[in-house]
Amino acid sequence: MDLDDLYRLLRGAHVQAQGIVDTVRDPLLVMDEDLCILSANPAFYRTFATGRDDSLGKRFEQLGDGQWQIAELQFLLEKVIPKSSAILDYEVTAEFPKIGPRTMLVSAQRLVHPEDGRRLLLLSIVDATEQRGKDNEKDLLIGEVRHRVKNLLAVTRALAKQTSVAGRTAEQYRDTFLGRFGALARALEVTIDRSSSDLPDLAKAVLEPYAGDGQTIKIDNAPVVPLQARQAMSLGMILHELATNALKYGALSAQGGQVALSWTTGKEQDGLEQVHMQWTESGGPAPVSPSQKGFGTRLIRSAAERELGGKVDLEFRPGGLVVSQSFPLRAQ
Amino acid sequence: MKVLVVEDEVLIAMDIETLLIEHGHLVLGPACSIVDALHLLDAECPDVALLDFNIHDQPVTPVAERLRDLGVPFILTSAYDAKELRKYDALTEAQFVKKPFDDHDLLRALARAGP
Repeated sequence: MDLDDLYRLLRGAHVQAQGIVDTVRDPLLVMDEDLCILSANPAFYRTFATGRDDSLGKRFEQLGDGQWQIAELQFLLEKVIPKSSAILDYEVTAEFPKIGPRTMLVSAQRLVHPEDGRRLLLLSIVDATEQRGKDNEKDLLIGEVRHRVKNLLAVTRALAKQTSVAGRTAEQYRDTFLGRFGALARALEVTIDRSSSDLPDLAKAVLEPYAGDGQTIKIDNAPVVPLQARQAMSLGMILHELATNALKYGALSAQGGQVALSWTTGKEQDGLEQVHMQWTESGGPAPVSPSQKGFGTRLIRSAAERELGGKVDLEFRPGGLVVSQSFPLRAQ
Repeated sequence: MKVLVVEDEVLIAMDIETLLIEHGHLVLGPACSIVDALHLLDAECPDVALLDFNIHDQPVTPVAERLRDLGVPFILTSAYDAKELRKYDALTEAQFVKKPFDDHDLLRALARAGP
């Protein structure tokens, strides 16, 4: 029912109308030409946690303790009766007594008293606080998603540029790029599932393309370690680089070669929880120390030291590459 | 020029570092956190700085303020809109390069900001 219907009802059968007004869920006020409150519905008393004595006979701007003293709203209300103008959803955000901060939408329209022809003002107040809160949350979320998408594009672009074209055919370049892109996507997938992701899930997801029948890459001693999304992305990229390197030059390039991945957690002297992770290759050819300028080495160092804020050590032992890294667990 | 780079996305940091070195600049950092950036500034003063606006969900303003005190010009990069950045006093004067950016955008901004 809109105000027009209500207006007709009030004109025609005000007894019934009283019942209707009482059941309207939003606060309604009827005021005279001087903006003095003549009546209010139960929803008004309920919403503002107030009673008849504090409301009836008072001028509109005297309600509450000053929240309605708004010059602009006063001006608009004063025009409703003489000019038959209407106010639609005038927004008032204020701290109200007993009920706290609220956003109220005020609408007003002229009414004519069915018996004596007096001109009155019907005012409705809708508490839009919750809706506004939801709108704001939604706007924030949309803003964050926009930011993340653009950021991800920037990361992808950097990945494409950092994947070297030197000495690679177009096909090799594409496969290398897509391998890294895939690792990023898998890490992202794990982090999107929940706001934090667990280390075993991440390692399994990223290494799955290389793990073969589960015998080539063994994940042992793998306690659950909660990771922040950023940590997961970095670790995912590191594990991917180690795995592709193992496949091309390391243990996984030979029949019977193996990788063992494990990690433990423990408190350091400074009281911070640290994760210690070990990647141990065996059964492959003797490793050669790679170029310090290669993408893999740079990424592993940057991600482990800068992003994860930890340490990483690459040891090219005769039996195979051993990578030890440790990093602090961040608060979730 | 000696360029301080503050960027928390490892891959983007690596990319910026490569680009700057290719163009004969010296890179300070890249710093992945505000604390690291401030530490670097304690030890050395760059000619210009390239700051990602959002570092681990925090605005880069502490670094911007320090640079302002040091009289070092800086360029802001972000996937956020410029108007989001203008809310911060320390950032209002800086050049803004929108992410994703290409090499030319960055080099042009550096040339404008540099001494």
